[in-house]
Amino acid sequence: EVAGAPGAPLDVHSLDANKDYVIISWKQPAVDGGSPILGYFVDRCEVGMTHWAQCNDTPVKFARFPVTGLVEGRSYVFRVRAVNKAGMSHPSRVSEPVDAMDPADRTRKGTSAPWTGQIIVTEEEPVEGVVPGRPCDLSVIEATKNYVVLSWKPPGDKGHEGVMYYVEKCVSGTDSWQRVNTEIPVKSPRFALFDLAEGKSYRFRVRCCNSAGVGEPSEPTEATTVGDKLDIPSAPGR
Amino acid sequence: SKTNAKKFTVTEGKHAKFRCYVTGKPKPEIVWKKDGENIVPGRRFLIFEDREGYYTLKVLYCKQQDTGLYICAASNALGNTLSAVQLSVKGPPVRFK
Repeated sequence: EVAGAPGAPLDVHSLDANKDYVIISWKQPAVDGGSPILGYFVDRCEVGMTHWAQCNDTPVKFARFPVTGLVEGRSYVFRVRAVNKAGMSHPSRVSEPVDAMDPADRTRKGTSAPWTGQIIVTEEEPVEGVVPGRPCDLSVIEATKNYVVLSWKPPGDKGHEGVMYYVEKCVSGTDSWQRVNTEIPVKSPRFALFDLAEGKSYRFRVRCCNSAGVGEPSEPTEATTVGDKLDIPSAPGR
Repeated sequence: SKTNAKKFTVTEGKHAKFRCYVTGKPKPEIVWKKDGENIVPGRRFLIFEDREGYYTLKVLYCKQQDTGLYICAASNALGNTLSAVQLSVKGPPVRFK
């Protein structure tokens, strides 16, 4: 017990969960211990395990945080600690378990051993691959000074196999686009970005790729300022 | 085993697409193997989940040495299983002048 430390945060729960991230939200502690709360640390623990891992290196100011790096299909519980200049609070009460899976899979939940059907082999004529089109309806669905969450739809033209995505960012006022996930394209039509500079304004865009190559970028988002305010621009065309 | 695996033949130089439907909760991890060795995705070997949810292996521009036993192995916390097929790559038709 540190004298002057805040009380434990309250009501830790998940706002959104899928196989790529879980957005955790909480309420600020009833007492701040006499000095303002500087931020929060989120911890996660896989259900059935005893090891708690801290999710963020630096305290987050907003009472919500997207936790990434989860193993698809596994179940996690979360807790939050508050910090002020005197020190760290006790951890909050633990959240209900959250499954790191897409909503469609969750509704079909229950467990079952794997089953594999007969493999069907077909011969295909080699043709020049077709590079996929632009992703649509890119929007910023969450934005705080610590992270931005993007969401989009796959390109309209069907028939492309194994489409994946590259996310790009650009400091507003410049025309210098920089790829965020330089190594591995993402499979899902969404992405959580960290490590944005506070006070700077960014635009984002997304490109599709497949085995034939990388396509044209989507329409860029409106400029989003990284700051303490939840600055969520309206989706394009609205 | 090799003897009762279904056989497919493709022509040298063409692509061979293997599709396998897999169920299981939690979502199984899938490994494709050829003659017991894991297939590493690369320029000629594409591995992906197609739009209908089939696990797919595509071998591009098949060569004679792609002939062999192909396995789709699925595992999750509750168990593991596999399906197998035998692929043979036949040479292009000999042209007589």
